[in-house]
Amino acid sequence: MRKWGLALALAAAVPMGGCVQMQQYADVQFTPPQGNYKLLVLRPDVTVGSITTGGMIEPRADWTEQARTNIVAALRAQQATQGGQVLVVERRNELQGVTAQELADIERLNSAVAQSIVLHKYLGETLPTKRRRGLDWTLGQDAVRLGQKTGYDYALFMHAEDQVASTGRVLLGVLGAAGCFVGFCAPNIGGATQLDYASLVDLKTGEVVWFNVVRAGSEVPGIKFGDLRTPQGAAQMVDRLLGRMKPGQAVRQAAARESR
Amino acid sequence: MCMRCLELSRRSLLVGGGVAAAALTTGTAQARVRPQDMQPLIGPGFKPTDRDEQGLWQLMERAEEEIAGSNLLMNDPALTGYLKNLIGRVGGPAAQDMRIYLAHIPEFNAVMFPSGFTVIFSGLLLRARNEAQLAGVIAHESGHFLRRHMIRSWRDQKRKSDLLAIGSMVAGVGGAGAGVYLGDYVQLAELGAILSLFSYSRGMEAEADAMGTRLIAEAGYPAAEMASVWQQLIGEESASARYRGKRRRRGSLFDSHPSPDSRMADLRASAAEVTIPGRPYDNGRARYLNAIGPIRPMMLDDQVKLNDPGASQYLIQTLAQDGWNGLLRFYEGEIWRLRNRRDDDDRAAQSYAAAVVYPDAPADAFRWHGISLLKQGRSGEAKQAFSRYLVMKPDAPDAPWVRQMMG
Repeated sequence: MRKWGLALALAAAVPMGGCVQMQQYADVQFTPPQGNYKLLVLRPDVTVGSITTGGMIEPRADWTEQARTNIVAALRAQQATQGGQVLVVERRNELQGVTAQELADIERLNSAVAQSIVLHKYLGETLPTKRRRGLDWTLGQDAVRLGQKTGYDYALFMHAEDQVASTGRVLLGVLGAAGCFVGFCAPNIGGATQLDYASLVDLKTGEVVWFNVVRAGSEVPGIKFGDLRTPQGAAQMVDRLLGRMKPGQAVRQAAARESR
Repeated sequence: MCMRCLELSRRSLLVGGGVAAAALTTGTAQARVRPQDMQPLIGPGFKPTDRDEQGLWQLMERAEEEIAGSNLLMNDPALTGYLKNLIGRVGGPAAQDMRIYLAHIPEFNAVMFPSGFTVIFSGLLLRARNEAQLAGVIAHESGHFLRRHMIRSWRDQKRKSDLLAIGSMVAGVGGAGAGVYLGDYVQLAELGAILSLFSYSRGMEAEADAMGTRLIAEAGYPAAEMASVWQQLIGEESASARYRGKRRRRGSLFDSHPSPDSRMADLRASAAEVTIPGRPYDNGRARYLNAIGPIRPMMLDDQVKLNDPGASQYLIQTLAQDGWNGLLRFYEGEIWRLRNRRDDDDRAAQSYAAAVVYPDAPADAFRWHGISLLKQGRSGEAKQAFSRYLVMKPDAPDAPWVRQMMG
């Protein structure tokens, strides 16, 4: 599946330390949405799984549901502070005036564009034609039509996946750490990992105006970095992912000139 | 859980001489699974209750939504209705729960997903010679679901990877404590675990074959047709390999599926067991041809454009065992024309000439027949062929050109 391919590519790109990493890009003319704007959140893609002792990822339906509920609540709360009106679309047929097929097409288009953004912005395959131009990608007229049909200003696509180390995995890590005393040191077998990314599309122009990737992880099982199953963890994730939107380069430079 | 999945890179798995050692314990040959031992493990309206299976199903919900809305799907209601009906006949207790999708992919394959939906590739509809053969493949896929193969193999993988992780860690720490290096043994155990996963997977395929045989026999199809599917596949692969100057790949320790040869042999034996003497069995050929008729030209067109003349020719010969017609003759000509070796234009011309004699010859057969005749200097006959082409396809994009050729 395309979405997983993207997640895997990102997982490989960001080195696995015991840390939280964020990297956002914005259109040079981007100003974070403020005041009275309408935001459409298209099917937040959430999966929470458990890391088995052997290192396989076991998807967990109950945890995923819990995390999805928490994330949606955290998202509404976070957007309310910016003054935005938010509609979270959970199913493709929920949006008035837009068929499920049209929404599916937009999602797939975004997925392809996001793949390209990840390749050229995060995986080091920089394009000479897009150098120093911030984020220069667009979903084109399809996104503009979605805006016209629904009356929304922005669309937000969001992906979050969280893997929680099972007790067995944590114990295996403990054994690996204990081995350090006899000369076989293997505490870093890989523990909890979280990968989130989001893209914001301006439905007036169709352009992808902002993109952010957050990766939190630990090579040592047992260390946690915000658990999406808890409201606090979800709020922390939404804040990391969406709470620190920076304006685009041109906007920042203009602001700097003004303050001088 | 598909009919024939992509093979993993075997070379990357080869670790020194451990192969030979591990082979002694796993082995490729497996005993045949008997159809009478294959009881469905789920009833109608099955919903998962175990935590791991619920997680798997939830993941599949989105996968199905994605597949159901894919533009690779063929959504002709007559055809999808036909397939739905078919899985309803051979799906056992889950017949009413399973969903079936048809993907426009010119390959011989079908896939069952853990939550009970299956995707049939159009290449399968081209290769099946009758309803019984298609029903056999669908029944095999249903067998995976009825025998709960996905969750069982997931648990098998989980158990083995857990044991391996614990074993490696204990060997590392314990070995370091005792002052010996056990790394080689850990590698060997790793290989053993990988081989046993493949062996487990082949076991599931054998189960699905046995279950499938039983299901189609109960639905009144001749069960031997399932073995014929593999016989045809072996023939096609051999023809394709021969054409490319290669040898057909045989089974190995690292296969997720048993080799077509052993499947064919096992299916023959199973078919004999489930066949009740005196009971009438119908392969449903007329019904089948009627259902796939509208898309057969498209499927043949896909096939000849795969640039695998060996396989394409074998396939057309096989289909023609049930009788030649204009469509098959035309695409036989297309294989030669597209191959374009020495004398291939003569072969193609013969096929086109043979095609136009049949009442079902497609318009393009007349077009290419006309062009062949022109090349031979038989312009009078060519004109007739071209005018027939224009009558059959008045809106043809090349109509002005054809008119000019007619002079």
